[in-house]
Amino acid sequence: MLRQELNELLTQTGPGTPMGELFRQYWIPALLAEELPENGCPPVRVKLLSERMVAIRDSEGRYGLLDEFCAHRGASLWFGNNEDGGLRCAYHGWKYDVTGQCLDVPSEPENSTFSNKVQLTAYPLIKVGDILWTHLGDPARRPAPPEFEFVHVPSEQTYTSKRWQECNWLQALEGGIDSSHVSWLHSAGLRNDPLFKGSKGNEYNLADMRPFFEVVDSEGGLFVGVRRNAEAGQYYWRITPWVMPSFTMVPPRADHPVHGHLWVPIDDENCWVYTFDYAATRALTPDELQAMKDGHGVHNEYEPGTYRPLQNRDNDYLMDRDAQRRGDTFSGIKGIAMQDASLQESMGPIVDRTKERLVSADSGIIKARRKLMRAALALRDEGVAPPGVDPAHHRVRSAAIVLPQQDSFLDACRDAVAATPGVGHSSV
Amino acid sequence: MTSPTLLNSCAYAATSAEARFRITGRPRVQRATRVIALDAGAGDVVRRLAAMPWPGVRFLCYEPDGRERAELVLTRVDGQQVWLCGELADADFAMMVATDDDGAAVAAAIGEACTKRGIMTAGLIVGDGSQARAAVTALRPYARVLLTSPDEDDAEAMLSAVG
Repeated sequence: MLRQELNELLTQTGPGTPMGELFRQYWIPALLAEELPENGCPPVRVKLLSERMVAIRDSEGRYGLLDEFCAHRGASLWFGNNEDGGLRCAYHGWKYDVTGQCLDVPSEPENSTFSNKVQLTAYPLIKVGDILWTHLGDPARRPAPPEFEFVHVPSEQTYTSKRWQECNWLQALEGGIDSSHVSWLHSAGLRNDPLFKGSKGNEYNLADMRPFFEVVDSEGGLFVGVRRNAEAGQYYWRITPWVMPSFTMVPPRADHPVHGHLWVPIDDENCWVYTFDYAATRALTPDELQAMKDGHGVHNEYEPGTYRPLQNRDNDYLMDRDAQRRGDTFSGIKGIAMQDASLQESMGPIVDRTKERLVSADSGIIKARRKLMRAALALRDEGVAPPGVDPAHHRVRSAAIVLPQQDSFLDACRDAVAATPGVGHSSV
Repeated sequence: MTSPTLLNSCAYAATSAEARFRITGRPRVQRATRVIALDAGAGDVVRRLAAMPWPGVRFLCYEPDGRERAELVLTRVDGQQVWLCGELADADFAMMVATDDDGAAVAAAIGEACTKRGIMTAGLIVGDGSQARAAVTALRPYARVLLTSPDEDDAEAMLSAVG
């Protein structure tokens, strides 16, 4: 269990909160690049860390993330016209560039300089891979851009989707650190999903339902090693990296693309889940890409034209009790992503951790919370930059490997968990 | 088929619950305002206004002394005499206050100087009756916005809103 004040410390990410300030040290995903598909395209409403903004790509291709509301009368700039180097408010025509600088106040005389004195709060928006990233913190402490491998491999080797999850970011993240649920909740997916099935590792996963856990610190966060019995004298290890504050990677299976997530708080009761798949040394095949777009693997299907999952709490996630009885799915919910989301949302908007009873298998979660708390308080009290801000901390990978029982997983896998360009993943 | 209500759809974004999520801090809007009394009655109004704190606002009065000058001279509320052009150098809003039409010629000089510099002009006529109507007529060519009011509190309200 966690005391209430600690639960609040970890789950509240609005301006001025310790965890909110922690998140504001990092580049975080603001939206997918596909949401601003061309120069001068319509603006997009974005809410992150409880702040409302609009994202724009201006006529010159520059990106920006502005306060959503016009400095004049407070109307939403989402209605605005994206024209000639700026976004013009639909109400009275005040116009802003991507930095939030006002360019025109039409009610003023023709050669007035008043617009120079009007400035909206704005944040940087940069494209790295298929994601537009922002930094909502102090510009003087802005780190170099993200170096996660999945956003730096050639575009034909990577695919990213996102979905709206209707719960606090932390309970969603904790699902990504918790490997022990895989053998239960996702057991059918290991057998049937086109992006999971067919690996030797799946057999180990399904044959040993009582795994052992080892959690070790990394520069950017943690490595969570989970071992299951393999052949005589050997263990099957699955190693999940967590980079603070919210990046995790799922250990690979056979030659399938490798996947992972970034959880980004929208507000304290909603988050975005950015989900990626990539192959380090080859292009994704057309079949793999189609499977991802169709919602297989860790992706999902959508309400048409939106980033809300087709299976959502309004339709009981399309629960299929017959499929559950038959064993086609363990929870009755189709798809790995929505199996996770349905249960994480079922905990409530912010799970009450004073009532939980963790077990030793949750050691990764326990350690992650501890690190987040320490980092948030060290930042607040001493201004210490948290782990994971340095882009060097991003150059990690998940790994799956069979090792002799006496071997230390991290000693044996030091190269395997380093993101090395041109080198394939260590997989079973 | 109706669209689902999403976090970024208007049906959700315009609720009171969502109104909480504004960026902390107001947008930066820095006006450099000059409030200029055009006649003796307006001078009293402007001096009362100037007794309150107004960041970025300077208060001036036109007080004719009978001397011929090439350019208009104004008097700050502390008594210092200043040239109009100097006062307008970094201004972006000039609010002229009048109670009658005595300041018509001054309004013309201020209005032309403001037009040349792209400075927004407003005229506030405090009073009613024939004197106020005459003041409106005098200011109309030189003020982009005119407000007539028997209540001098409107001067404070206008300055609070746009100053």
